[in-house]
Amino acid sequence: MTNDTLANQLAGLSVRLLHRLAKNRVPRHFRMGKNRLIQTLLSLSPEQQADLETHLSSLLQAHPRVPQPPKHGKGDKPKHEPNVVSRPALPPQPSVPAKPAISLQALLEGIGVPPPQSFKPDDWQQEAIDRLTTNDVILSVPTGSGKTYVAIEAMRRAIKADRMVIYTSPLKALSNTKLTEFSQTFGADQVGILTGDRRDNPQAPILIMTTEILRNLLYDAASGEIDMRLDTLGLIILDESQFLADRERGVVWEETIIFCPAQARLLLLSASIGNPDEIAAWISSIRSESCHLIQHRNRSVLLRAAYLDPGGKLAPFFRTRDIARGRGFALHPETKRLFANYEEQTLSPRSKR
Amino acid sequence: MPPAIHPVDLLRVLRHQRLTPAIVFLTSRRACDEAIGSFEHRQLPIPPTRSSAITDVLDHMIAEYPSIADHPLIPTVQRYGVAAHHAGHLPSWKIAVEELMRQGCLDAVFATTTLAAGVDFPARTVVITQSSVRKDRDIVELTVNEIQQLAGRGGRRGKDYVGFVVVTPSPYIDLGPIANGLTNHPEPIDSQFVVSYPMVLNLLKAHSIDHIQPILEKSFAQFQLNQRTDAYETKLDDVEAQLETYGQRECADWIAQWQSFSLAKKRRSHHRRKTQHDPPEISAQLAFLTPGRAVELSKDYAIVLRQYRSRGQGAPMLTVIRSSGRIVEYPASAVTAVIDEVIDVTEARRFPWCTPQSLEHAVTTLEQFPARLRRLPIRVDPNGADNPILTETLMDEFPCPTCPSRPACQKDHPQALKLRQEEHRLTKTIHALRTELWHRFQQHIEVLQKFGYLTPACQLTSEGDWARLIRINHSLLITELIRMGAFEGISASLLAGVLASIAHDDDRPASFAGRQQALISTLGQVRKIAHSLSAYEEPPLLRLDVAAIVDRWIAEPTLPWSELIHATTMAEGDIYRLLARTLEYLSQLHGLRSTHPGLADIARDAMDLMRRDVLQELP
Repeated sequence: MTNDTLANQLAGLSVRLLHRLAKNRVPRHFRMGKNRLIQTLLSLSPEQQADLETHLSSLLQAHPRVPQPPKHGKGDKPKHEPNVVSRPALPPQPSVPAKPAISLQALLEGIGVPPPQSFKPDDWQQEAIDRLTTNDVILSVPTGSGKTYVAIEAMRRAIKADRMVIYTSPLKALSNTKLTEFSQTFGADQVGILTGDRRDNPQAPILIMTTEILRNLLYDAASGEIDMRLDTLGLIILDESQFLADRERGVVWEETIIFCPAQARLLLLSASIGNPDEIAAWISSIRSESCHLIQHRNRSVLLRAAYLDPGGKLAPFFRTRDIARGRGFALHPETKRLFANYEEQTLSPRSKR
Repeated sequence: MPPAIHPVDLLRVLRHQRLTPAIVFLTSRRACDEAIGSFEHRQLPIPPTRSSAITDVLDHMIAEYPSIADHPLIPTVQRYGVAAHHAGHLPSWKIAVEELMRQGCLDAVFATTTLAAGVDFPARTVVITQSSVRKDRDIVELTVNEIQQLAGRGGRRGKDYVGFVVVTPSPYIDLGPIANGLTNHPEPIDSQFVVSYPMVLNLLKAHSIDHIQPILEKSFAQFQLNQRTDAYETKLDDVEAQLETYGQRECADWIAQWQSFSLAKKRRSHHRRKTQHDPPEISAQLAFLTPGRAVELSKDYAIVLRQYRSRGQGAPMLTVIRSSGRIVEYPASAVTAVIDEVIDVTEARRFPWCTPQSLEHAVTTLEQFPARLRRLPIRVDPNGADNPILTETLMDEFPCPTCPSRPACQKDHPQALKLRQEEHRLTKTIHALRTELWHRFQQHIEVLQKFGYLTPACQLTSEGDWARLIRINHSLLITELIRMGAFEGISASLLAGVLASIAHDDDRPASFAGRQQALISTLGQVRKIAHSLSAYEEPPLLRLDVAAIVDRWIAEPTLPWSELIHATTMAEGDIYRLLARTLEYLSQLHGLRSTHPGLADIARDAMDLMRRDVLQELP
């Protein structure tokens, strides 16, 4: 039997039968789709193929072939788009793609450095800063879209009003980075840092610390041992607030928010999370002022995805150029093909040896 | 595991497509270091102008942080413009790498996924090589939040029109989760509220016990529990509304009343099990099948002599006399009809169950019976009529048998009982959710009372008053050690060593040459105490090697950092973090200076001795 006729016969089989054929011949065959199963079966060694053919003929006798009309409905779902297969033996698969997949050139278009622009705050940034004068604010926006700008402007306002600011981060490393950053913005004498065992410039209007340290300060204040000017505290900024869900340390964020002095405003900076509205509702329920939620999912810099084959070939990751949010996804056919090849190579028994 | 593509090839492709600078997230620290090392073998140098720019930045950083001057990776960074950035490095080195990246000097930084939150610098491209990570000895898939955290580093504001996520396979990859992570909405986060001993002590210091519950109710944990409670309450309202529809009955709690009534009925009938399983038509007949009753069997008439129960199954049986004069036993079900005719039969206690006269009388009556006799219509209650005798005995205890609501109760009871049980279950759940945190808090109070940190009235004892200042993990162990005087007269290095072994919770294997007898015996004692407290607090790992590292760092004040590093297999970043954590613990002990001046002084000494060299560079 030639390879082509075998391929045709296999293509006529149902997936169920193909899996039965692949059993004990192809490792992890249950993960494969029809096309990959056929390809893998065709690429077996000659001895195995002879064995396969006898098995196939017996299967064909037991299950006489019923010619099936090609299913057209499938083309609507690009997810099930058949792979673009280079093997000519395979019968052409019906496909009605909604839109042609993007090309690599189109994907890589527009790389470059934009000319320097005068900075203009986005509407949401301005809204956050304005809201902070009266309300608590939660900022849940993607990484790198300018949360720090809001923090800095809010600090500037607080200092102008002669109020103290506490900025907390979950990691000491981040505290150090912020110390450098804020020192450059406000001047070194305006920024202090408190760690477990050290206090640098603790009289400064801006204090950076880890959230644990702030929690301890609030405990001390509650039991009447004030060694801090908590009454002049105007703003508490909790960076990386998604740590609220940290298994070990999350409770510290909760305590901090619960014990936050009533006159101080809270600014929670968080990466994108699923339920910022819930957190806002919670904070509103326990604090005197309502908590204002600002969230969006638009990145300030567009993000695109690509797939890099171990062989060095680059391909678009999705069929579309930009990453669509919350509407499912469709991998680029080229990526699917490359990844299938990769899996095949790494999963074949030869490479396992 | 390294990615399938060689790191040098990866960088070559990225450069070729103008996708640099890039952050490459790899599975392990080792993979990062090996990736950097592999550049030594495959020449891919950067232009000399870039190299000199890197040297300038590095010189500037070295001036600020002298500890990085001899970093072994510096030549590689200068020659190839790549660097590694992970928790195994010193913070100063990581700051230097971040600064190089910010200045645009580097083409690629190889970082571990675990520290994605600590990677606070963007790049044009993010390379993802895995869809799952190792967490506590398990391999778990990256969550949407984590993938977006990684991808979020791609694209620098003001420096890029567009950022990229490049996915390249490694043995730990599946495309589905990554594609899902890039496109899907992030998961909601849940409260991880835990009650700890310091929390209890500090709250009770500031508030009286009556005010604690309202404070706990302010937590996000309670907020989320309340939301679940709300859902249950809607369900409960629904159930209660359904129960309402049954309306008023004679008794106030008819469901419970009927429940106990039917239970009692069941229990009574248990003694006379025989009535239990009779089909209704049989049990309806039984009352009539008394001695002397004429019945119709399949062929002819007969007169009942006796009614009894079979020994085995307890089935109702009859002894009858047939017209042929034979005395036969039949199951009651063999009776096809009950005849409206009763003759006088005087019963006897043994076979033939009646006097011979009666027997004779019966036979003659049977012979004289006409062909057709009037059948007695028997009303069968489909609900199964109660055994009249049983009902009678229950009458004294229950109003139900004569109650006017009885048919309604009997009909509605099964459904109503289900609803009532659901109602109880929901009420219980709601109560549990409402009081869960408070309950956990009370458990901690009990432990603290047992150990004497709290008075029975939940006020802080003098011990509790200082113990609340120890606000770290394993606080109970540490305060107990202090109370036992385990730290009295201890050397500064030994104290730091013990605290380090309590603080260190990483089980990443390491070794350290040179251990001290004093340390071994002290740690042995601490381990015993920790074990005795294990019912109240998870015991720490108490690793000897980490204790020995810290002990040596303090005991030898002239020991340079590099030598400490060489004496152990731990990464220097880990040692740094270990020392920093120990410093934090020591500073908590130092905070006890008003009550434990001796201990606070030792802690102070240890801190002073510890803060040198690398540990002095950063606050």
